[in-house]
Amino acid sequence: MECALDAQSLISISLRKIHSSRTQRGGIKLHKNLLVSYVLRNARQLYLSERYAELYRRQQQQQQQQQQQQQQQQPPHHQHQHLAYAAPGIPASAADFGPLQLGGCGDAEAREPAPRHQLHQLHQLHQLHLQQQLHQHQHPAPRGCAAAAAGAPAGGAGALSELPGCAALQPPHGAPHRGQPLEPLQPGPAPLPPPAPAALCPRDPRASAACSAPSVPPGAAPQAAAAASPSTSPAPASSPGFYRGAYPAPSDFGVHCSSQTTVLDLDTHVVTTVENGYLHQDCCASAHCPCCGQGAPGPGLASAAGCKRKYYPGQEEEDDDDEDAGDLEAEPPGVAPFAPCKRARFEDFCPDSSPDASNISNLISIFGSGFSGLVSRQPDSSEQPPPLNGQLCAKQALASLGAWTRAIVAF
Amino acid sequence: MAGAGGGGCPAGANDLQWCFSQVKGAIDEDVAEADIISTVEFNYSGDLLATGDKGGRVVIFQREQENKSRPHSRGEYNVYSTFQSHEPEFDYLKSLEIEEKINKIRWLPQQNAAQFLLSTNDKTIKLWKISERDKRAEGYNLKDEDGRLRDPFRITALRVPILKPMDLMVEASPRRIFANAHTYHINSISVNSDHETYLSADDLRINLWHLEITDRSFNIVDMKPANMEELTEVITAAEFHPHQCNVFVHSSSKGTTRLCDMRSSALCDTHSKFFEEPEDPSSRSFFSEIISSISDVKFSHSGRYMMTRDYLSVKVWDLNMESRPVETHQVHEYLRSKLCSLYENDCIFDKFECCWSGSDSAIMTGSYNNFFRMFDRNTRRDVTLEASRENSKPRASLKPRKVCTGAKRKRDEISVDSLDFSKKILHTAWHPAGNVIAVAATNNLYIFQDKVN
Repeated sequence: MECALDAQSLISISLRKIHSSRTQRGGIKLHKNLLVSYVLRNARQLYLSERYAELYRRQQQQQQQQQQQQQQQQPPHHQHQHLAYAAPGIPASAADFGPLQLGGCGDAEAREPAPRHQLHQLHQLHQLHLQQQLHQHQHPAPRGCAAAAAGAPAGGAGALSELPGCAALQPPHGAPHRGQPLEPLQPGPAPLPPPAPAALCPRDPRASAACSAPSVPPGAAPQAAAAASPSTSPAPASSPGFYRGAYPAPSDFGVHCSSQTTVLDLDTHVVTTVENGYLHQDCCASAHCPCCGQGAPGPGLASAAGCKRKYYPGQEEEDDDDEDAGDLEAEPPGVAPFAPCKRARFEDFCPDSSPDASNISNLISIFGSGFSGLVSRQPDSSEQPPPLNGQLCAKQALASLGAWTRAIVAF
Repeated sequence: MAGAGGGGCPAGANDLQWCFSQVKGAIDEDVAEADIISTVEFNYSGDLLATGDKGGRVVIFQREQENKSRPHSRGEYNVYSTFQSHEPEFDYLKSLEIEEKINKIRWLPQQNAAQFLLSTNDKTIKLWKISERDKRAEGYNLKDEDGRLRDPFRITALRVPILKPMDLMVEASPRRIFANAHTYHINSISVNSDHETYLSADDLRINLWHLEITDRSFNIVDMKPANMEELTEVITAAEFHPHQCNVFVHSSSKGTTRLCDMRSSALCDTHSKFFEEPEDPSSRSFFSEIISSISDVKFSHSGRYMMTRDYLSVKVWDLNMESRPVETHQVHEYLRSKLCSLYENDCIFDKFECCWSGSDSAIMTGSYNNFFRMFDRNTRRDVTLEASRENSKPRASLKPRKVCTGAKRKRDEISVDSLDFSKKILHTAWHPAGNVIAVAATNNLYIFQDKVN
């Protein structure tokens, strides 16, 4: 009756449950999926806090070593030759950041029987998480602990909050901060992922009082050693570099906007096309979405109305997304970028036939954003870094839009 | 009926000696999914016992009249009627299959010779009329005995048809179908004390119906957030107050219960009372949210108390005190350390029901390994009993069972790791007037009675 009560296995178990709920008779059970999402959130929170703790420890060691080396005037040696991520273009630091490195041992993969893609997706989940922090720092969420924790990137010694479930980790002293792109150049200590992990408060995400992360002004001075990286301007502007470097080549994610899934909101009967796990119209609306060219700055929810097909033709119904659209003040983009959306038709809907890997990836990206009340609803894609990778664009869009329930329903 | 509980001093659960009475259902090891019992309910008099299963069928048992010539068949329950209540459906518009599993059955109080009950699956509620036919008219003028029409020219005389007895035939016919009112899965129905209205609750909404009107229902609770991202809790159960026709409660997945008064406003989103026990922060775990989710809520017969069942405990609340329950009974606390495994095998999502005894002196709920637990509220004692074929000798007393949590296992105790989690008792019912209980163990229905002392 023993089971591995570690966060990573819980996350994979939970995702498997959600995934299999798609095919269960009787449709998606809202109650069960909600409970599983709570477990997922709790496990993710613990996992991330553990990883950050590990990274912090490692960062400390590396800094000490670096200082010793500098004092001894020895040539710097690469700390990251043992990268598990061999994808070209992956900066050492980012790979160090990956799940295989985090956790402190190369046998992480051996220990974890889950397929490699799950770990990869955990990494993506983590990246998504960071991106949320960037948003929240820029635009403090009106609710949620994440807001409180978002202001804790720089300075101070890293400290794990003792509050149950709230781990407002701060990056170690002198670590590079948000806005510090992770370039493969520096041989020195790996820059930490810029912001602290979100302090995900248990139970009531609105109880921001439970999270005590001191807020720090953005754009704190980056670590000198890692100054090899280019800009150090406040987060969003420079985070493009971070993400540009951090993500594997787009080819790893397959063709952008290639696979489609259709989601149906049970109540409003709005059919929306979701591609590669994100809302196509939002991706296209992003200014830098590669497939759709230039679009409106915002996620373009309001403008996406044209892409959403009402289930009953001729009936215009309020969509849940209208609230998000209202927040955004997005201008409607040009017609051209949405041409691909119009191809999506309900009749074309086919059950997702991709292998499990991409399904789970979709689910993770959805869940990364959709934990009820945890993430800020501020979409703010206008300040998003222009990602080269469509997958990241997807995650960002979803981070703000969520609607995991809608997506689940369609699954 | 024989046994205590009728009048005078009500006996507690532990003053009685529970004995096996009957078991219904197949004995095979392989249980067909469709035969798994999904709901059990006595009617108001206790003479009828209805069960619903995953295959959409309803089986009604009727209690035999006590017979001097057969003293041993002390009120046995025998099959009275069987009918297919719900069929599997497919919602083509949403590409969703609708299970035929009967989620709940609720009886209506008897008003004439026929019996009425409401049965529901995930989406549709049906009102069934169960009526007996034990006489047949013979001697019609216009048709002959086979039913064929007689040639009018051959009719030369008139006669009055006479009623002749026939074998009892019980017919079930659907009288009302209440459909298309729920987007999410219906988890509860509850008949109001006015006997004219009833409520149906799904994950996010509660609707009020009139028994005569099928094309309209009123939404009285709506917990759907404007943005589904913000969903944090769902409705798990709802019930009308037994005497006050304007009061109902609904429980949530967050471990809270709300009491609402329909007189205050048309939409009862704001509660009149809010019952929540603060969480103990030291017992926080990954699964805290799951185990605090309330799976069942039941008013006491008196209407003064209500009982909520969450995964590990059952709590009795005084309706006048919202801050904490007046009683908390641990059902299977030894499972707290096994939550991770229970999460993996999905058992942590099991929804156990609970029930009051007729006099409200005792409460009962199910557990795993075909165990069920009874708590006597007066004597504060509890007992664990087992529903198994091994203890199925007629009138055999049930022996209390014990689960041992430590390393040293005494004789007759069973260790936590030996529990069979596939044998779970989710549905139990207690006779409204006497000490008869019905316990559903997967595909078998066990009936236990108290021993005549």
